[in-house]
Amino acid sequence: MTDPGSREEMLELVALYALGVLPRDQAALVAAFIANDDGARDEYRALRASADALAYSADEPVDSTRSARMKERLMARVSAEAASGNGAIARRRIGTNSGWLMGTGLAAAAALIFSVVTVIQDVSLRSDLAQAQRRTASLTTQLADTERVGQHDRQMVTDLVAPDARRYDVAQGAVVVRGDRVYLALSKLPALPRGKVYQAWTLPKGAKTVQPSITFPPNADGIAVIALPVDATKLGAVALSVEPDGGSKAPTTTPIFVRPLS
Amino acid sequence: MDPVVRLMERVRARDVAAFESLYDSYHRLVFGISLRMLGDPMVAEDVTQTVFMKVWTSPDAFRGGSFVAWVSRVARNRALDVLRARGARPETELPADLPLDGALDDEILERLDAERVRDALSTLPAEQRAPIEMGFFGGVTHQEIARRTDTPLGTVKTRIRAGLRTLRNRLAEGVPK
Repeated sequence: MTDPGSREEMLELVALYALGVLPRDQAALVAAFIANDDGARDEYRALRASADALAYSADEPVDSTRSARMKERLMARVSAEAASGNGAIARRRIGTNSGWLMGTGLAAAAALIFSVVTVIQDVSLRSDLAQAQRRTASLTTQLADTERVGQHDRQMVTDLVAPDARRYDVAQGAVVVRGDRVYLALSKLPALPRGKVYQAWTLPKGAKTVQPSITFPPNADGIAVIALPVDATKLGAVALSVEPDGGSKAPTTTPIFVRPLS
Repeated sequence: MDPVVRLMERVRARDVAAFESLYDSYHRLVFGISLRMLGDPMVAEDVTQTVFMKVWTSPDAFRGGSFVAWVSRVARNRALDVLRARGARPETELPADLPLDGALDDEILERLDAERVRDALSTLPAEQRAPIEMGFFGGVTHQEIARRTDTPLGTVKTRIRAGLRTLRNRLAEGVPK
């Protein structure tokens, strides 16, 4: 992003990203740009506040009958779940510990909601909740289907631009760590000859040899945003090298970088 | 400590009364976003239920910053999920779990209300306001905005950026009468 014209164009995309109107593939690229550019981060935070404020314009009084019905349904569910013990807490721990399991977690949440609604039906509000159950079943099924596709990307974008993410700069971008997740957010990666790929390597804390991680090609602009399937809290370093297509068990070329995570 | 943050701490401790207080304060906002995006009051009700169940079952997903901003983003993303499931398939979304780390922004957001934001929006030129609202509440990409408004893509980008900047300034400084 050394060309001022290109940078200005990217900053325009930052505004679109803040508003949430970028397609997912472009959003990931802009997130990588934000992660690697202080000015872009400032721009994003300023314009995101504007986008957040837009929500207020939809704040309208809700019809009192509807409002009462919504609250009754919700509080019945919440009270029943609170009385049922630790289910919600256990599910929360799953979400905290492993972002990769969110799709499965949502399906489990849907199952729990169904069971809670069923219990409540036996108590009171039978007809209203039966209708609610049917609508909830339809909605949560739809959500579960779409969540499986979108959750990983959503988590990645969120992590990359989060203020509490730790960034370890390399010449081509950064290794970004947030919680137990680790990403490569790289640009300026040269195109590779046919039969070659980039391969990430991870070095567990205390280990002396790296372990093979995933292979990937950059996009046409030399950009790659990759989530490494490893627990970041146990990592000592991340490396990158060029390897034959299909990857290697050990690096066969001089690493492009070896970045200690400290 | 921010009263909303305190309420969320109580929700983490499974305090139903704290949850109810949050719901009373913010359900209009969540329902309003859902209704504006989906156009169907019954589906908007369902989304509102889903959003607040997330608040109850996953309070750790809120990592500080502005609760209004966070819950609004959750509502918008859930509404986008419904639009996708309908087949409209918008591919945009907001990062819902990202806290603002700028105290000024948080203060501005927490001081806002619907009337003030609508006033600020009304000061934007129509050619800036329209693509911003279409993108935020319509859940469409900037390319789709350009197509629907028969406007060059570059112009759409420039207008959205300028509009968001102006909006932020209006909200930070107070809306001129």
